[in-house]
Amino acid sequence: MQSGLMNTFQSGIKTRNWAAWAIAIALFAFYILIYFDYALGILGPVAERLGMGIWTLYGLMYTIAMIIGGIYFLHKHGNSRYHQVRTIVVVLVQIIFAFSIPLVMEIFDSKGFILSLFWPLKIEYFYPQNIFTYPLTLVLYAFLSFVIGVPLLTYFYGKRWYCSWVCGCGGLAETAGDPFRHLSDRKAKAWKFEQWSIHLVMFAAFATTAMVIINWSLHHTSPDGQWITQYPLFDSIATTVQKGYQTVVVAMLSGVIGVGLYPLMGTRVWCRFFCPLAAILGIIQKLGRFRITVKPDMCISCGNCSTYCEMGIDVRQYAQNNQSFKRAACVGCGMCAHVCPRGVLRLENKADLRESADKERRPIVDM
Amino acid sequence: MRYAIVGNGVAGINAANTLRHRDESASISLVSSERDHFFSRTALMYVACGQLSEACVEPYERDYYEKMGFTRVRERASGIDAANHQLIFDSGNRLEYDRLLLACGSVAVAPPWPGSDIGGVGHFVTWDDLTWLRREMTQAKRAVVVGGGLIGIEVCEVLIQAGIETHFLIREKKFWPIALSAAESDVVVPHMKHHGCHVHLGTEMAEAVATNGRLSSVRLSDGSQLDCDLLVVAIGVRPQTDWLRETGIALDDRGGIIVDDQLKTNLRDVYAAGDCSSVVWFNGVQRPEQLWYTSRDQGVVAGHNMVGDAREYRRGTFYNSAKFFDIEYTTAGLVNFHVEGEVDWWQHEPGTYYTTRITYLPAENNRVIGFNGLGRRWDHSILVQWIEERRTLEWMLRHLGEANFDEEFMPRFAATVPVEGGR
Repeated sequence: MQSGLMNTFQSGIKTRNWAAWAIAIALFAFYILIYFDYALGILGPVAERLGMGIWTLYGLMYTIAMIIGGIYFLHKHGNSRYHQVRTIVVVLVQIIFAFSIPLVMEIFDSKGFILSLFWPLKIEYFYPQNIFTYPLTLVLYAFLSFVIGVPLLTYFYGKRWYCSWVCGCGGLAETAGDPFRHLSDRKAKAWKFEQWSIHLVMFAAFATTAMVIINWSLHHTSPDGQWITQYPLFDSIATTVQKGYQTVVVAMLSGVIGVGLYPLMGTRVWCRFFCPLAAILGIIQKLGRFRITVKPDMCISCGNCSTYCEMGIDVRQYAQNNQSFKRAACVGCGMCAHVCPRGVLRLENKADLRESADKERRPIVDM
Repeated sequence: MRYAIVGNGVAGINAANTLRHRDESASISLVSSERDHFFSRTALMYVACGQLSEACVEPYERDYYEKMGFTRVRERASGIDAANHQLIFDSGNRLEYDRLLLACGSVAVAPPWPGSDIGGVGHFVTWDDLTWLRREMTQAKRAVVVGGGLIGIEVCEVLIQAGIETHFLIREKKFWPIALSAAESDVVVPHMKHHGCHVHLGTEMAEAVATNGRLSSVRLSDGSQLDCDLLVVAIGVRPQTDWLRETGIALDDRGGIIVDDQLKTNLRDVYAAGDCSSVVWFNGVQRPEQLWYTSRDQGVVAGHNMVGDAREYRRGTFYNSAKFFDIEYTTAGLVNFHVEGEVDWWQHEPGTYYTTRITYLPAENNRVIGFNGLGRRWDHSILVQWIEERRTLEWMLRHLGEANFDEEFMPRFAATVPVEGGR
């Protein structure tokens, strides 16, 4: 079922040759021009000449990359229904929710809002000075989706419903990034690093948001219409922290490094090591139903699952030890199950044990 | 305790793991002339075609042997001095042991026709074979693969992927008759052809012909000639036990090392596990089991017995899986065993290569004895459980969906073919 993957390791560009480095450098440069345009002012004028803002131009390029990448992905892996459905959904979400709806909103002279992004991936959705500029329905949407919708869906279906079905970052990885998915580091050391780094960023997201909210609540409108605070020191600290988070996490980690490293370290560097939303979803996933079930005593230790896991999970270790497993990092892309030549793995979120292939938990059925 | 293990394959490494788990201070030596790192032999085809790198097929990280305290001995074993508890190497060196495990695996069966030793002719079993095939593939234009089994079809897939015109010679009238029915073969063979494989059923090799010392063509049993510059012989494997002929160890008629149910050989303190050992099968026959997971299980059992745990190796209901190009294959129980009175229930889902075959005994209330599935994924462990629970065909067809292991969103399995006699 994986004829689309044959030759992977014979291709130079897929195995970090000079062309892979060239692409990485180009991506780095592009993302620096995008995120630091306020200082550099190079791409902004270009976008203006094309009649759009720099972020609209970026969104357009991103969406086109995902459409082309999606077609490429389906050409490679489209013999799987799961991949067909998942890829079509993630590309449509990008076209409709991440690109078109915000654009239409802007045409009607209101601020664009991306319904498919949630706090803390979109950290400003919980910044009061930002979210309260939106209509009340969107404020409620941003809040309730994070508090109720996201945890419930993750509990029942795993973080995959978001990370490989909805999210734009994941969407690019799953489509245009597919040729590089095998470059993720699957060593135990990388897993250790991941556990530290992703929870550190999650903590930073909580801390930054808390500071911004507290700082906002300490402000009031003065009689002469100024937005002022009695705590100027805290205000300057909070503002610095907010800017720092924006520069380090949003611009550098999610943009420049996250995408720039595609051809060198695989497609999920941001999602795996840094994304604060992925960290939260991962914790819920560990408590939820989603698991990868391992068919006992059938694994031949070939390593296809571990190699093509974009999150660098050493799936083989579980498969060859007959361990069905949950991993916080797993985005449920389904590639491990798809590439397994012995059909050992299956993504499952069923509660009905009669339907479950989880043998230990399967009761003896009626005669 | 000094443990020596001949062979660094799946049986050997699992025995070593078990020994280390049971005895932290033991000296454990793994002897191999093939490779320093344990690799998945069943994944050789993926390295050959470039789907995996060489490092990908190593199940453990590179520092594993140091971490586990395993000593690697890069030697080729050539004999055993059982009286003095010594393993003898090609180089003349010797290794003393307290317990010895023979996990030396299989070698390819040499072809019975002339010309098997000329350039451009080889097998696909060892790491060296992989290196050889990859080198040959860079210049081969037209290849012949002999032997209608699993290695044969894997090599065909690799060669076709590399753009080499590939001819697959199968002696039998159907593909893999030991496991597949005629109808199942008729699903697989067109699929191979669809992928560009030239399948020659009912065709035997007569001779490999050389020009200037290199393969130039093969002559077939019907007298016809087929030009080619690469010939891969995959007519089976046999236990790699020629080096043990002089040691007094008991071998069966296939060359397998005869072991008891604790995997002990007739030599004192010598055990055998994996492809090279001859065990008693579920049906009472003594012969080697050349399967990946039975080798792994035997390695574990041998490890336990070497430290004195007295574990028995018991092979339950047979099962296996394979893959023919895109078609996955699952089997459980007695399939193609020609049990007296057996009848097949068979369903081919229209427009697909999904087939399901259930072998049952009408004389025993339609008790199911075997299962063969192509295309769809099945959880063999559930099928095995049902066969051991002596379920009937009707019951099995009602519940078969529970054993299905397909990816999500696959059309669900439904048994539409009626049970004959309508019981």
